[in-house]
Amino acid sequence: MYKILLSIIILSSNTVLAMDGMHNHDSHNHNKHQDMTYVDGSKTKITDEMFLSFSAGLSNTQIVMVDVQGMVCDFCARGIEKTFSDDKDVKKVDVSLDKGKVMIAYSMNKKVDLDEIKNIFLSNGQTATGIVIRKV
Amino acid sequence: MGIINKTIIILLLVVTADSAFSRPISWSGGSTIMYKTNSMHSSYYYHYSPSYKYSMGLEYINNRHFNDQYINLKTTYLLGRKNTKKSQANLYLTGGISTKSKNNHFYGIHGDWETRRLFTSFSVINKDTDVKDYTENELTFGVAPYLGEYNDLHTWVMVKAKKDTINNNWETYPFMKFFKGDSLIEVGTKNSHWDIHYMLRF
Repeated sequence: MYKILLSIIILSSNTVLAMDGMHNHDSHNHNKHQDMTYVDGSKTKITDEMFLSFSAGLSNTQIVMVDVQGMVCDFCARGIEKTFSDDKDVKKVDVSLDKGKVMIAYSMNKKVDLDEIKNIFLSNGQTATGIVIRKV
Repeated sequence: MGIINKTIIILLLVVTADSAFSRPISWSGGSTIMYKTNSMHSSYYYHYSPSYKYSMGLEYINNRHFNDQYINLKTTYLLGRKNTKKSQANLYLTGGISTKSKNNHFYGIHGDWETRRLFTSFSVINKDTDVKDYTENELTFGVAPYLGEYNDLHTWVMVKAKKDTINNNWETYPFMKFFKGDSLIEVGTKNSHWDIHYMLRF
């Protein structure tokens, strides 16, 4: 029994939290009022309905949309929401478990740091695989 | 190696036993309160997670059957986690020591795999006591009948199978798990007695 336990522990120690696809690309205009910065846009698909619903009533705001792996339950997402909500520059946070995405609305004063966002997810045990920023 | 380091390692090697919850560690800086009651005993457990990789806490146990009260110091360490788009898998090392006597402690491993629809877990716990040392094995399987969104009420239909090396036979019983917001409750029946667990995270 102890050999089996030891084997499982050794095998599991090789598990790595993968943080793939985090490459910063240049910003460019999307619509008249929206700028987008792709980090791994190919993996992040935000529908217009989701975006419009989240951004309703917001202005002069940067909206960060994050593709997340491992966010399978409310408890998984709750720490993420609490951490971002503690940031005074965050106006709103929303989570979609179904789509595996988190949307964060920052004031324009905030210099959005992709590594900081990535590390917030990592420190809560989830993996951010793609990030898109829009300005409204 | 200092005494503090030795103590930490020993604590990390000791295991928490009947953690019925799929997430024995909270988010970084998160706290958890648990209450559990069944036909034999009731317990209150508080743990704090300095990071998502481990938690440490104290559990007060009132064993009504033997009229015995004691405190366990418990810890859980995340050995590995695998996140995918649709699932999360974890392997934990957990354990504890007890004020009951210096010979009372427990240690083992606990693993789970979860999607939004399915949940499975296993645990193997060695318990050392003054009277007898034994091992508890546990398997859990659950299905979510519907998929709730964030902040909705989430419901799981679960079944648990347990075996220890004293009775050496598998015992299986169903239970329901509900959670919404920061609260989770499990309700089941075992040997015609209610088995209730409540958890609050903050």
